[in-house]
Amino acid sequence: MPRAVTTRRKAATTLIAWTIGLLIFFPILWTVLTSFKSESDAIAIPPKFLNFDWTLANYVTVQERSNYFRHFWNSVVISFGSTLIGLVIAIPAAWSMAFVPGRRTRDILMWMLSTKMLPAVGVLVPIYLLARDTGLLDTRILLVGVLTLINLPIIVWMLYTYFREIPGEILEAARMDGAGLRAEIIHALTPMAIPGIASTLLLNVILAWNEAFWTLNLTAARSAPLTAFIASYSSPEGLFYAKLSAASTMAIAPILILGWFSQKQLVRGLTFGAVK
Amino acid sequence: MKTTFRALLGATALCAASGAAAQENVTLTVATVNNGDMIRMQALTSDFTEKHPGITVEWVTLEENVLRQRVTTDIATRGGQYDVMTIGTYEVPIWGAQGWLISLNDLPEEWDADDLLPAIRDGLTVDGELYAAPFYGESSMVMYRRDLMEAAGLEMPDAPSWDFIKQAAAAMTDRDAEVYGICLRGKAGWGENMAFITAMANSYGARWFDEEWTPQFDSPEWRATLDDYLMLLTEYGPPGAANNGFNENLALFQQGKCGMWIDATVAASFVTNPADSTVADSVGFALAPDNGLGKRSNWLWAWSLGIPAGSQKVEAAKQFVAWATSKEYTALVAEREGWANVPPGTRQSLYDNPEYASVPFARMTLDSINAADPTNPTVDPVPYTGVQFVAIPEFQGIGTAVGQQFAAALAGQATAEQALANAQALTAREMTRAGYPK
Amino acid sequence: MSTKASRTAARLMISPAVILLLGWMIVPLSMTLYFSFLRYNLLMPGMESWAGFENYHYFFTDPAFMAALRNTLALVGGVLTITVIGGILIALLLDQPFWGQGIVRLLVLAPFFVMPTVSALVWKNMFMNPVNGVFAWLARSVGLQPYDFLTHAPLASIIGIVAWQWLPFAALILLTALQSLNSEQMEAAEMDGAGPLARFWFITLPHLARAITVVILIQTIFLLSIFAEILVTTNGGPGTASTNLTFLVYMQSLLQFDVGLGSAGGVVAIILANIVAIFLMRMIGKNLDA
Repeated sequence: MPRAVTTRRKAATTLIAWTIGLLIFFPILWTVLTSFKSESDAIAIPPKFLNFDWTLANYVTVQERSNYFRHFWNSVVISFGSTLIGLVIAIPAAWSMAFVPGRRTRDILMWMLSTKMLPAVGVLVPIYLLARDTGLLDTRILLVGVLTLINLPIIVWMLYTYFREIPGEILEAARMDGAGLRAEIIHALTPMAIPGIASTLLLNVILAWNEAFWTLNLTAARSAPLTAFIASYSSPEGLFYAKLSAASTMAIAPILILGWFSQKQLVRGLTFGAVK
Repeated sequence: MKTTFRALLGATALCAASGAAAQENVTLTVATVNNGDMIRMQALTSDFTEKHPGITVEWVTLEENVLRQRVTTDIATRGGQYDVMTIGTYEVPIWGAQGWLISLNDLPEEWDADDLLPAIRDGLTVDGELYAAPFYGESSMVMYRRDLMEAAGLEMPDAPSWDFIKQAAAAMTDRDAEVYGICLRGKAGWGENMAFITAMANSYGARWFDEEWTPQFDSPEWRATLDDYLMLLTEYGPPGAANNGFNENLALFQQGKCGMWIDATVAASFVTNPADSTVADSVGFALAPDNGLGKRSNWLWAWSLGIPAGSQKVEAAKQFVAWATSKEYTALVAEREGWANVPPGTRQSLYDNPEYASVPFARMTLDSINAADPTNPTVDPVPYTGVQFVAIPEFQGIGTAVGQQFAAALAGQATAEQALANAQALTAREMTRAGYPK
Repeated sequence: MSTKASRTAARLMISPAVILLLGWMIVPLSMTLYFSFLRYNLLMPGMESWAGFENYHYFFTDPAFMAALRNTLALVGGVLTITVIGGILIALLLDQPFWGQGIVRLLVLAPFFVMPTVSALVWKNMFMNPVNGVFAWLARSVGLQPYDFLTHAPLASIIGIVAWQWLPFAALILLTALQSLNSEQMEAAEMDGAGPLARFWFITLPHLARAITVVILIQTIFLLSIFAEILVTTNGGPGTASTNLTFLVYMQSLLQFDVGLGSAGGVVAIILANIVAIFLMRMIGKNLDA
């Protein structure tokens, strides 16, 4: 950008931007800080920001009480599993909608999105009965399946909008060369499609990681992910802010770190076709 | 993925087969609430598994509302995900009558069912069958600050009246110092504000239904109950009372911001614990208040362990239930964590124990539990059981909806009159829909 | 452009997704539809009987129904307004050059990763609590009476919590769109003497229209079914001040286990959601096609 920016203006922007950024981030920072406090420091008035006795006791308690790693691993399997399966199903669908659009393409897309509006609380009982009859209750397979279906519309839509931005000429060129349909996809499109796919993958892993209705209601012990782990720390008897904060930090941290590290990839495809 | 599935299927089949045959390698899934006593039980699991090699215990520990929703869905659909469920005195009569729970009448002799407190035992028995074993029992009582009472020149009787509570609340309130005369539950919910208000209404001579199942919110007794409840909290209560449940009030009391707090007896061990409470040394206890009508305003609840009918692992589950609710378990906790931390309120033998008698809240807890009568909770006769709830399946929904109305009145969005009229209308509507009178 | 063969191929490729979603929609939906015509309470097995439209009658005449409808719309509308306007402002800010851009972007992004239950618990207990909360402390330290958010403004408080979670999403999409803005056009306008406001109004905003559309569409889908935040903070109260349709259906189907009534509510919620969806498509579909 050729426009000159004065240092003064840059300093002012810096100040404002950092203030807003820190304000938005503050609740998370506060949770992390609280997780290192004792329970009585956690509710102290005036609030203690850094001047408290730092302790790891809450983390020790949480780790002793709950098998964090099992919950963590279940979360990983469920969120990545459902996203990967969703991608396998969605890529061909989005590809064909983007490059061979029919009259109904948009209707199909919109219909797909509308399936996301199925209110979960209303259909829990039917789904629970089905899961019981198939013997799938409290299995990761069930959760992978349910979350795949829940997020499939979003996956299809994200990919569709991303694929549409890939210039059609590339496709034509590949066809001229006599490449088959499969070769067409693999050789000509994949490299261009990868950022979109990566971003879709990340967004859906985040959505699946945080999904708290189905994951709580369809699991018991073996397949319970981190959402169930949190549910064992929210509002028990007695003071619980510090322990809750520790458990929350443990539940959020993996996805937050993943999100931060892959921020560029995530943002790049997070456009849903919003950028022309 | 597929292999995991096969392995799981295989494991399930194995468990089922061996569970039927002998005690070899059974895995019990125990669903429980994340309250302090249960977390302690979870930590002591090894004592059980050492005595019963071959049984492994998997814990599902959840927050109360989530747990209730999970286990109810599971037992009503016969999902079979849990072998032992932690349920309360609300669920047991309903589920027992449905045949959803396994009778525990045949627990071993040394488990000593006759030692259970009668009020608790009655609450868990349907037609002579004990359907769940009480893990801990609670009533409600007044917890108050002795120092503030003294400063106000008052003395708390062992069995106060509501008039005295009003007088004391007024005398102790000092808003500038952030000391509020009384803290009570206000958050909407059948197990939150309605537990308190329903128990309070009993002592005012009010009741949910008459013998024909007609709702009674249009009665003068309910009006008097709600007026006093609203007056106490708006005049002498903390800010935000309409969203305070057990936990919020506990935090307030521990920080020394409440003069009195009427709530569950189990709170006594939290407010007297110097590690968490700034007022541990100056807490006094008294029975829940009354109006001289013969019923006090204390409730009765027991978190209990039940075994769903159709479980493949009944024998192992029974051994676990017997262990967790035994006298030996109480002794184990006392030995490791001290007498103040044993699960209270289920057995007479605990209160006969001289070591336990020295715990400051022991006697008042026992007296409170004994003062509750779930089969005859109100001044006028009623067709239902339950002190602070009505043991019918519809109650969770109705109770919460009525609780919302009362919370709205507390928040100043409706008058007491409107709240009661709404409560009457919505209860009548739901009861008609459910087909009452039956 | 496309041949017949590629059309067939396209149909083949699209079919797994369509069939799966059709199944996911039809199986529970038909079960729900069927249950909605039954008297069916999970807690009273063996009592199922045909109920006709009774469940629907009860659902529509529920005194909480109209309130729930209004609250649902207010919740969606309120969050959308805050996130779109706030998102544009933050995007404009982050688009300026300043020191530490990358870090600030990470800070702004963070709330999007937080589980709804966690964020509701944290906001309720550690911030909005009128005695122990950070806000109460701030109010008192400047000599004000603490405001009791969840009692006196329950819906607005929930809107605030939800908006906090979705603000990063809106800000990032809008920022991406902003960065693709043609700077030459901007400079030309500047030379012509257009002030910053005029430039924003006539160049930036039209450029962002498409991104705003996307933000509205995606968020609406998620916001219509807000549930965990309400359950954790207010339980739908006081009164019905913060009960939305999802929460109403929850009270009927999972609190009372009245599957019949809950299913009727579920069907109504699906229909209403689809009306909103169709309305949205009509309104903004053009934008997406362009």
